[in-house]
Amino acid sequence: MTTTSPETGGHPGAPSPPGLAGGPGDMTAPGVRVRDLVVVYRTPLGELPALGGVSLTIEPGTITGIVGESGSGKSTLALSLLNAVQPPGRISAGSVEIDGLGNVLELGGDDLRQARGRHLGYVFQAAQNSLNPLKTVGKQLLDLGRSHGADDPRALVRDARSLLERMGLDGARVLDSHQHQLSGGMRQRVGIMLALVLNAQLVILDEPTTALDMITQATILRIVREVHKERGLTTLMVTHDIGVAAEVTDRLAVMYGGRVVEHGPTMDVIGAPSHPYTQGLIRAIPRLSGDTAEARALPGRPPTLGTLPAGGCVFRERCPLRMDVCETVEPPPVLVDRRTVACHAVAGARQERVVREERVVREQERVGREEERA
Amino acid sequence: MKPSTVRGRPRVNAVTRRLAGHLVRGLVMIWVVTTISFVIIRNIPGNPVLGQYETLIERGMSPDQAERATAALYGFLPTGSLWEQYTGYMKALLHLDLGQSLSTPGTEVVTLIGSAAKWTILPVLGGTLLSFVLGVTLGVYAGVKRSGKLGDLLSISGSLLHGVPQYVIGLLVLAIFTTLWPIFPAGGPVDVEFVPGFNAGYLASLIQHATLPVLTYALASYGGWVLAMKSSVATVLGDDFILAAELRGLSRGVLFRYIARNAILPLFTILALSLGMLFGGAIFIERIFNYPGLGLLLVNSIGARDYALMGGTFLVTTMAIIVVNIAADLLYAVIDPRVRTGGVA
Repeated sequence: MTTTSPETGGHPGAPSPPGLAGGPGDMTAPGVRVRDLVVVYRTPLGELPALGGVSLTIEPGTITGIVGESGSGKSTLALSLLNAVQPPGRISAGSVEIDGLGNVLELGGDDLRQARGRHLGYVFQAAQNSLNPLKTVGKQLLDLGRSHGADDPRALVRDARSLLERMGLDGARVLDSHQHQLSGGMRQRVGIMLALVLNAQLVILDEPTTALDMITQATILRIVREVHKERGLTTLMVTHDIGVAAEVTDRLAVMYGGRVVEHGPTMDVIGAPSHPYTQGLIRAIPRLSGDTAEARALPGRPPTLGTLPAGGCVFRERCPLRMDVCETVEPPPVLVDRRTVACHAVAGARQERVVREERVVREQERVGREEERA
Repeated sequence: MKPSTVRGRPRVNAVTRRLAGHLVRGLVMIWVVTTISFVIIRNIPGNPVLGQYETLIERGMSPDQAERATAALYGFLPTGSLWEQYTGYMKALLHLDLGQSLSTPGTEVVTLIGSAAKWTILPVLGGTLLSFVLGVTLGVYAGVKRSGKLGDLLSISGSLLHGVPQYVIGLLVLAIFTTLWPIFPAGGPVDVEFVPGFNAGYLASLIQHATLPVLTYALASYGGWVLAMKSSVATVLGDDFILAAELRGLSRGVLFRYIARNAILPLFTILALSLGMLFGGAIFIERIFNYPGLGLLLVNSIGARDYALMGGTFLVTTMAIIVVNIAADLLYAVIDPRVRTGGVA
C-alpha cells in the first residue's frame, strides 16, 4: 500500500504546471480519515497522551479548520498527518488514511520523504523561520526540486515565480533573496509557494497568520482561499483564532485536551455551538460592537499533559453541564444534526428530545384517536 | 538568480564599511599593544635600557657613543624625558625598526623574527586546519548521533583531549613517537645534511620534522572543535527551518548540508581565538620539539635577557593575532549572507 503513491502525485515541470487558472488537472483532492489516533509524549512522569484517540474525517476539497487553545493538540494532529510527530512525542495507536497514500503511519524512509512535499504540503507558522538563513529562496527551491526528482529546474523556477506573482510578490526578486531580506508576510507566501510548487493536493497550514499584522493576515487568508479553490485542494488549517477560521474554513473541528469535541460545518458550529466548550469559546470572543464586558472568559484553565484527567470527560472540570457520568465515562462522539459532538449532556439532551418528540407524537396520535372516537 | 545591480551596491558598501571599521580598530589595538610593550620594557626592574647605557659608559665609551649604541639596540634613547623616549620608540616602529638583538650582536630584531615566523606560522596553520577539518567532521557526526555509542565515544575523546594542556600533549607525542616508537625525529626544523632548496630530500626532511609539532597543535585543538561543533549542530537541529526542510521532504544529503553549513558558522569566530591560543602554545611546543619558531625565540630571548628581541617578538605575535582576528571576521562576512548585506536575521 505504500508504493502506489508516487504515480498519483504531480510532476513538477511536467505538462500540468501550476498554471493556477488551469485547475487540478488529473489530480483530485484527497480525503483524509484519522481513526483513533493516540500520540503520547515521553515525560519524567511517564508517557502522557497529547492526542487521546482522535477520529476525524476530512472530506475531499474542503477547507477544514482546527481550533483550540494552546496545548489542545492541534499542531500534534497536524504533524501526525505527515507522520512527523517530533520526539519526545510518539504516535502509539491509530491510523491516518490519505487518499493516494494509504496509511501514512505505515510509511517510512524514502516513501515518507517523497510523500512530504510532493503530496502533502506543510506551511509553517509565520513567526517561525522556515527557511535556511544561508541560502536564497531560489536555491532552496532547487534543493526541493532535486530532492523530489524534478528533472526540469527551469520549469520549477517558472512555476515558483508564477505562484509568487499570483500572490502579489515580485517572483524574480524573491527567489534571489535570503530569508532576512523578506518581511513576515513575504516569508509566509514563500512558505505557501514551497508547499504548492510540487503540486501537493493536501495542504496543511499550521497557524499561517499568527504574528502577522491584520492587513497581511487578510491577504494571506485570501490567498489560501483562492489557491484552495483554483487548484482544487484539500486544505487543513490549524489556528487558535476563531475569527480566522470563520473567514476561511467551511468545516470546523474544535479540539480540547487532545480530543476533537465538536466537528461540523463552520457556520453551524460557530452560529449554534453544541459542545459546552465550543459555547464557552465563542462567548469569550469580544465583539467589536457592543459591550466588551459581554465577552466572558471560560472559567478555569485548559489541562496540560500532566493535569489531564485519566478517565471520563476531559472538559468536566470547567463544564457548566457536568453530570455524574462525566466523571467516569469518556463521551463518545455522536452525530447531532449535521455535526459530531463528544458530550454526555448534548447526547443526553438529544436523547431527551427524541424521547420528548416521541412522546409528542404519541400524544398527538392519542389526541387524534380520541378525536376520531368522538 | 543573478544578483541585481540595485542590491549589489549596498552589499559592497557593507563589506567595505566593515573592512574600514576593522582596520581602524586593528590600528588602535596595535597602538595600545605597542604602548604597553614600551611601558613594560621601560619598567622592567633594573631598567635594562639605562643599565645597558651605563654599562657601555663604564666600559669606556663616551656618553654620545653609548647613547647611540643603546638607541640602536632598543629603538629609543635611554636618556631624555619619558615622552621623548616614547616618540622615539614609535618613530622607529613606523620604520619597522625593532632595534638590534643583544644575544645575537649585530642582527636586527626584525630579521630574527622574520626568519623565525615561518617556523611558527606554517605548523600552527597546518595543525589548526587539520584539527578543524577533522574535529568539525566528527563533531557533526557526534551532534547528529547524540544517543549512539560512537557519538558518545567522540564526545568523550573530545572532552579528554580538550582538557589536557598543550604542553602535556606535546610531551606525550614526543615520548611516544621518538622514544617508545621512534619513527620521527625528536627535534629541530630539518636534518642538516640536506641542501636547503626545492629538492626531495630537503622537503621530506622538513615534513618529517614538522609532523610532530603539527600533530601536537592538531591534537591540542581537536577536542575543542568536536565539542563546539557538536553543540552547534544540536542547536541547529532544534531550529525551525530544519523541521521545515524535513517536512518538505528534502533529501538526506541536502538536509545534512543545511545542518553542517549553519552549524559551522559560529565556529569561525572560535577559529580566530584558537589561532591566538596556538600562537601562545607555540612557546611550549616549540621548546619541546626544539623548533626554531617565534615561541622558541621568545623563550631564548627571555633566557638571554635580550629585552629588545623579547619586546619585538611579543609585539609581532600580538599583531599577528589581531590580524588573524580581523581576517576571520571578514571571512565570516563573506560566508554569512546576513552579515554580508548588513541585515538583521
